[in-house]
Amino acid sequence: MKKKILSLALTAVMSVSMLAGCTGDTGANTTGGSNGGSTGGVEEITFMVWDDLEASSDLITKGYKDSIDRFNKDFEGKYHCTPITTNLEEYYTKLNALVAAGETPDVFIVSPGPNLNDYVLPGTAAKLDDYLNADGWKQTFTSDAVFAGGTYGAEAKDGAGIYAIPLNIAAACVFYNTEMFADAGASVPKTYSELLTACDKLKAKGYTPITISAGTAWCLSMVAGYLCDRNGLNLQDVKDHKTDWKDAKVINAGKQIQELSQYFQPTAAGDDNDIATAAFYNGQAAILIQGSWAIGQINGSCSDPDFPNKVGVFAFPAVDGSSADPNRVIAKSDSLAMSSSSQHKDAAVQLMKYFVDDTAQKYTAEKGGKIPVTKVQYDESVAPPELSYVMDVFKNASATFGFYNESLADTEAGSTFDNCFVDIFTGTDPDKALDPIQQYYEANVW
Amino acid sequence: MNVEIDNSVVEKDKNKRKVVHGLIYAFLIILALIYLLPLLWVLLTSLKDDAILMTSPWAFPEHLMFENYSYAWTMGHLGTATLNSFIVCVTTLLVSMIVGSMAAFAIAKLRWKFSKLTLTYFMIGMMIPIHCVLIPLFIQFSSWKLTNSLVGLIIPYVTFSLPITIYIMVGFFESIPNELFEAAVIDGCSVPRMFVHVALPMARTGFMVTGLMSFVSNWNELLLAMVFISKEEVKTLPVSLTKFVGPYHTNYTQMFAAIVIAVIPTIIVYCIFANQIVEGLTAGAVKG
Amino acid sequence: MDKLLRKKSNIILFLAPAFILFTVVLFFPICKAFYYSLCNYKTNYPIEFAGVDNYVKLFTKDETMKTALKNSIFFMIFSCVTQLLFGLVLAALLTNIKKGRNLFKNIYYLPCVLSSAALGLLWMFVFTPTLGINKMMESLGIIENYADGPQWLFNTDGFIILPIIVISFVALWQYVGQSMMLYMAQISGISSDIYEAAAIDGCTSTQAFFQITLPLIKPMVATAMSLNAIGSLKFFDLVYNMIPEGFLGNRAHVLATHLYDQAFKFNKLGYGCAIGVVLLIMCLIVTFLINKFVKVESYE
Repeated sequence: MKKKILSLALTAVMSVSMLAGCTGDTGANTTGGSNGGSTGGVEEITFMVWDDLEASSDLITKGYKDSIDRFNKDFEGKYHCTPITTNLEEYYTKLNALVAAGETPDVFIVSPGPNLNDYVLPGTAAKLDDYLNADGWKQTFTSDAVFAGGTYGAEAKDGAGIYAIPLNIAAACVFYNTEMFADAGASVPKTYSELLTACDKLKAKGYTPITISAGTAWCLSMVAGYLCDRNGLNLQDVKDHKTDWKDAKVINAGKQIQELSQYFQPTAAGDDNDIATAAFYNGQAAILIQGSWAIGQINGSCSDPDFPNKVGVFAFPAVDGSSADPNRVIAKSDSLAMSSSSQHKDAAVQLMKYFVDDTAQKYTAEKGGKIPVTKVQYDESVAPPELSYVMDVFKNASATFGFYNESLADTEAGSTFDNCFVDIFTGTDPDKALDPIQQYYEANVW
Repeated sequence: MNVEIDNSVVEKDKNKRKVVHGLIYAFLIILALIYLLPLLWVLLTSLKDDAILMTSPWAFPEHLMFENYSYAWTMGHLGTATLNSFIVCVTTLLVSMIVGSMAAFAIAKLRWKFSKLTLTYFMIGMMIPIHCVLIPLFIQFSSWKLTNSLVGLIIPYVTFSLPITIYIMVGFFESIPNELFEAAVIDGCSVPRMFVHVALPMARTGFMVTGLMSFVSNWNELLLAMVFISKEEVKTLPVSLTKFVGPYHTNYTQMFAAIVIAVIPTIIVYCIFANQIVEGLTAGAVKG
Repeated sequence: MDKLLRKKSNIILFLAPAFILFTVVLFFPICKAFYYSLCNYKTNYPIEFAGVDNYVKLFTKDETMKTALKNSIFFMIFSCVTQLLFGLVLAALLTNIKKGRNLFKNIYYLPCVLSSAALGLLWMFVFTPTLGINKMMESLGIIENYADGPQWLFNTDGFIILPIIVISFVALWQYVGQSMMLYMAQISGISSDIYEAAAIDGCTSTQAFFQITLPLIKPMVATAMSLNAIGSLKFFDLVYNMIPEGFLGNRAHVLATHLYDQAFKFNKLGYGCAIGVVLLIMCLIVTFLINKFVKVESYE
């Protein structure tokens, strides 16, 4: 009997290793086809992005597609880039899956912060200094400051240096419908209490004062981040445990979210980002607090061609009585990273250059409505009218800071923060609703 | 006299019966509406344009927007997804039937000591939720470069269809009288020939039952496919559908069209073979 | 004959493919899942053995796990009870009518064969205030504005939140056909002689249902219940497709979605495995309990 079991086990193990061997072989072959592809002398590279390049109506995404098309056309017969597309919600999940499978895309888009850490620290993303310094590429950028998000110290596996190239900068501002403001007699608020007054006037006129999405948690969390900052919270202090998430400044921000929520559209809890933004460009609500990427979305989707001229922009108001600097602005840049295991680094670098060349950067400003990262001269008269207001806010900024959910210890901390504020928005007492993030930091950070 | 009373009692009884039956039918019809109306609503909405959907979501469409379908089919990648789902499910169906019925035959008809034990080993598979092996399987398949390929879906799908296939087929093979096999042996038939020419034809009903079960569950499987597949070209139908709305798309009517595309093939097949399907699946579940 | 059927080469030939597949794709991974659940494991980073850390965290520090357990257990109890009741009632009604029995049966069974992902989206739209039920109530004049109606999928008040209850009803809608069919199959297997004998003894049809039908279908109750219980513990598609990302501040998580988020969104593969192991153990316990409990009862 023992013998039988043994022989059975043996056959099983043998067949298993055979199976493993077989699949391993075929696997190697397929990678040979897609990654090492020197089919007909064309070097094949992949580029991964968080939107559907074909179907999206977002103007920034269309700009990315244009860059890839130009790259493929100019290098026809030499390089070819195949985009891998997914959507924003599952972008990092899918990217991680590809990394785990050893199929890291040659070039991939990423947000600076903990997301980028996950690729730089273990050495998935390549150091780019050599390429940047080689032919004066780095000098085309506005300043070294634009690389701040992609710069790492010795903690990176491949040593200190720049690991990501910024593509554009977006600043989070308050967009408002000037017609509605005029009709309601509301003026542009400088402080939180003035914002409440403006909302009251809008509401009295029958307008929905603010459209926001709590269904897409980061939208609400962006406002929460602004409020925390305006109340004077310093994230570094939280990280160093000099203060904690039950700080009176955070609690106060929570109370202000609850106060503001009476001015939100009634379906804010469930509306996703698209619906909330649509309510603004369809003229159903007066105020939208969003990043300037919304310009590309608004102008790409609204049916009224005159609408962009009705939009005004102001900086997020100061909190009365707080000593915090009211000129700090939330800024975010989409960045490109290159796989350190890429077989075609030259092709990948070429592709990245197409995203920050003059054509692409001009498009970014004139069509996409985002702030360019290079010294390109763009035509302000054809750029969306909203962009010049955003530029004003951006130029007046004393400093920029990141999204809260992308500035915390790790991605899960960010997600926990988002959820806490959704919770506060639904009416939970801030002190109680902040328990999860407090506990998360106790367990994982402090 | 007596007879008269009896008659009125019968009459009363009949009336009561009629009322009860009426009530039963009313209940059943209302319930049927709860089942059918949502599906009809989706069908109607998929033919509207977005603006009308937002203003009057429950009204009939004024002009039919078939563009929604062509958009969902091409731009939404549902065409590719449908093809992928079809390839995966049909291959899984065939492979799991062959592999499963072979194992079932060995367990039911071949004579060896551990046949009962082996059956138990396979039966453990029915208790195991796919979630439990999802992560190790993903890691393993990643290192074998099997994620992002249809083969990488077919292998686990076949495996997860095996326990129920084996269980049901063992039942069918056991019911085939041994005399038939003895006759075949006397005719000089080898075991594999015996399997193909005697056992398989006798177990046709079993194939239908297991085939249906495997097809329906794999056609609808979401979790594993979502984890394994990141590339658009190899996504299956449930995965394409789940994340059909990108971060910047607001076009709901196209999503409705996508839902219709996803369920219509199943509904058509169901309408044609409803009785067989319902009975087949129930038979499978009873045995499971 | 006997010799031929005992030949080892034949046995191995017939059994090997299934055995190998099963072992490689199911058995080994389960062992690995146990091992990974004892490790800190993130893609891109090396594996570190961490003992029972993950389990300790899971049961003491993880609020979302508590919510997920609560919701999953609610789903399980709700589906066991309601599917038993509705399944039986439908089966009883359908066996008692003659005209249209097949039609109704097929209609109720239909959602069982459709994709949960698609149906989840469908019901998500039905419960979206701007599109679905609330808008209809508004046009019928039941409520003044669609926004005043219940926030079906977003209300987070109460111990079991409304969206979870809504989803459990959708699940009932989708799967009750399965239970109904199981009971109908069993009822139609009961010999009509028994009912005739009972009728002669003056038994009404209601009495017959409770005293003959019910006791005789008890074994099927065990089967159907195990199917429901395990099915609802594994629940993923409907929740994932009906609840917005973020799961309403983590309040709408079930075990499977929590596992997915932890493992694939936050890249904590080891931790995800620990949730998977808990899920597996729960499935085994529940199956065992139902079989024991219901079977013992049927011997009384």
